[in-house]
Amino acid sequence: MITDAGNSAETAEEIHPVDQHAGRKHGFWAGRSGLVVAGILAAIGTYLTAGILAMDVPEGAKAPGPTFFPTLIVIAIFVLAVLLVVQTLRKPEHVVEAAAEHRFHTDWKSLGLVFGSFLAFALLLVPVGWLISAAMLFWGVSRALGSKRPLFDLGLSLVFASCIQVAFGAGLGLNLPGGILEGIYG
Amino acid sequence: MESLTLLLEGFSQAFTPMNLLWVFVGAFLGTAVGVIPGLGSSMAVALLLPVTFSLDPVGAFIMFAGVYFGGLFGDSTMGILMNTPGGSTAIATTFEGHRMAKLGRAPQALATSAIGAFIGGLIATTLVVFFAPKLADIAVMFGPAEYFALAVFAFIATASVVSDSVIKGLSALAIGLALAIVGIDGISGASRFTADVPQLFDGISIIVITVGILALGEVFHVASRIHRDPKLSAIAVSGRPYLSKREFREALPAWLRGTAFGVPFGVIPVGGAEVPTFMAYGTERQLDRKRRDPQFGKGAIRGVAAPEAAGNATSGTAMGALLALGLPTSATAAIMLAAFQQYGLQPGPLLFERNADLVWALLASLFIGLVVLLILNLPFAPLWAKLLLIPKHYLYAGITVFCGLGVYATSAAVADLFIVLAIGILGFVLRRYGFPLAPIMIGVVLGPLAETSLRNAMMSSGGQVSVLVDSPVTWTLYGILAVVLAYTLWRRITTRARQDV
Repeated sequence: MITDAGNSAETAEEIHPVDQHAGRKHGFWAGRSGLVVAGILAAIGTYLTAGILAMDVPEGAKAPGPTFFPTLIVIAIFVLAVLLVVQTLRKPEHVVEAAAEHRFHTDWKSLGLVFGSFLAFALLLVPVGWLISAAMLFWGVSRALGSKRPLFDLGLSLVFASCIQVAFGAGLGLNLPGGILEGIYG
Repeated sequence: MESLTLLLEGFSQAFTPMNLLWVFVGAFLGTAVGVIPGLGSSMAVALLLPVTFSLDPVGAFIMFAGVYFGGLFGDSTMGILMNTPGGSTAIATTFEGHRMAKLGRAPQALATSAIGAFIGGLIATTLVVFFAPKLADIAVMFGPAEYFALAVFAFIATASVVSDSVIKGLSALAIGLALAIVGIDGISGASRFTADVPQLFDGISIIVITVGILALGEVFHVASRIHRDPKLSAIAVSGRPYLSKREFREALPAWLRGTAFGVPFGVIPVGGAEVPTFMAYGTERQLDRKRRDPQFGKGAIRGVAAPEAAGNATSGTAMGALLALGLPTSATAAIMLAAFQQYGLQPGPLLFERNADLVWALLASLFIGLVVLLILNLPFAPLWAKLLLIPKHYLYAGITVFCGLGVYATSAAVADLFIVLAIGILGFVLRRYGFPLAPIMIGVVLGPLAETSLRNAMMSSGGQVSVLVDSPVTWTLYGILAVVLAYTLWRRITTRARQDV
């Protein structure tokens, strides 16, 4: 299994043992990776709790104040997280047999590539500009989803990004960053 | 007959060449997004939201009228031809529809579904025209306690009825509510859960959440299974979709029964059209068994007609509930609500007084949109299936770029791109473990309404909780909710018992 731990660290770590069931007995984690959602809920609950405790409530705020509704949500979140854990432990996802071994597992390589492409797009959009970063995003995602013609894709993605630049930038007046190509076009 | 005059005015506004063009563009794009497997009408609205920013409100909503129904016309096409419904509302249509296609009756199945969607939408929209203003009159009597009851109704019904597991539904709802409370509190001015990041002071934009959960989450989902799932193949369609007179007569009662199932569910918030489509399908199957020559299982035309009409009827009246009550009853309606708020409009009873011209132009456009969609879908359905000739990797690469464009164009803030990425991963994880997504959207959109009305009600009563169940309207709402929950529970128990046998 290829793990892109940096990209989706929390999911990758917890799901990891599930994939190692070839040739030996299923471990405890098999079919129980759903616990990850309970973990996410608990993390959200913890963040909200910290926020409620640290909140700067303006003086004279009428009761029920700004912490009232969030407190209700936090209680609900922790109760649900516990229920999810109980549910997942009692009824694990059915573990797949060898014939259909891959049907229910996640393709971390493709997923990581898509994630990385979008992250790079977010980082590069303003410094490099729409045209190049959007073309790179298109190229990266089509590559991740199994395209086998990198050079053709390169041309296609540049054409696609330029079309959007023209249609939305020039046509509809959206302000897309020019980046390093600023001034050369539009 | 005041409604008719107002509607005619709406038509005169919608019938300018420019606005007709917007309806057409909306219907076209809506169908295109709806046809793609996995992307339903809510995605169509979410992805096309940024396209409308540079339009005036009237033009934008006229375009949305086309998109709104377009997604629903499109999603059954793929279900029939490829056995992969474009959205959850097309699942019921797919059972008999794909059987018909396999038996070489694809044109008839496509025609039945397109005409069914047209009839359902037409009847429902007509009802909205006559009853939405009355609904708005009633809604004026709603105070904070009543609105809170409505929101609770929507929360619980969506979370428990739609999903297979109540805990999963409620968890999704809680995540939605948690996303909704980030930002400056409107009542007290306190900054909440923003970690002092200025970009978060206004809260997380609904567009960021929608694109993240529905669009980017779907792209991640497709990526995670791209080498796993078997390749799909479409059934070739020979000839144009048509129905003979006999087939039309056969389907007609099913269209009408389906519409009857769909209409009430537009106003009852149970998270969209899944419930009525399955109810309509189930009823037709029951009726079919009593006939001399049962058709179900052999490609029954009625099994396609009823759910399709039900789905669009639900969407039609859902628009009425949104306009008159400000209450979104499905994820699609929730995004429409966000679109209204984007233009500083608040759907609800006052909308009919303050923005009458816009409301009636929108209603008129819904009719025009339906006609355009019938023209686009009836003769050209096989052409839409050709969309699948675009290789999957380019299709989803394009969608990803549009996600980035939509989010950045809304706010011009790079921070939103990182937020949408995080939410996209969240959406992927929830999909992977079979959590329903509709409760998240309902939580995000109705969360602020629920909080404000709850706090206002309690402030005015001096902290008395009893104020929440103090009026006949609230009794009725909680009463209906109890009945809905009891029915769901009863159905779960009976189906479980039947499975055991």
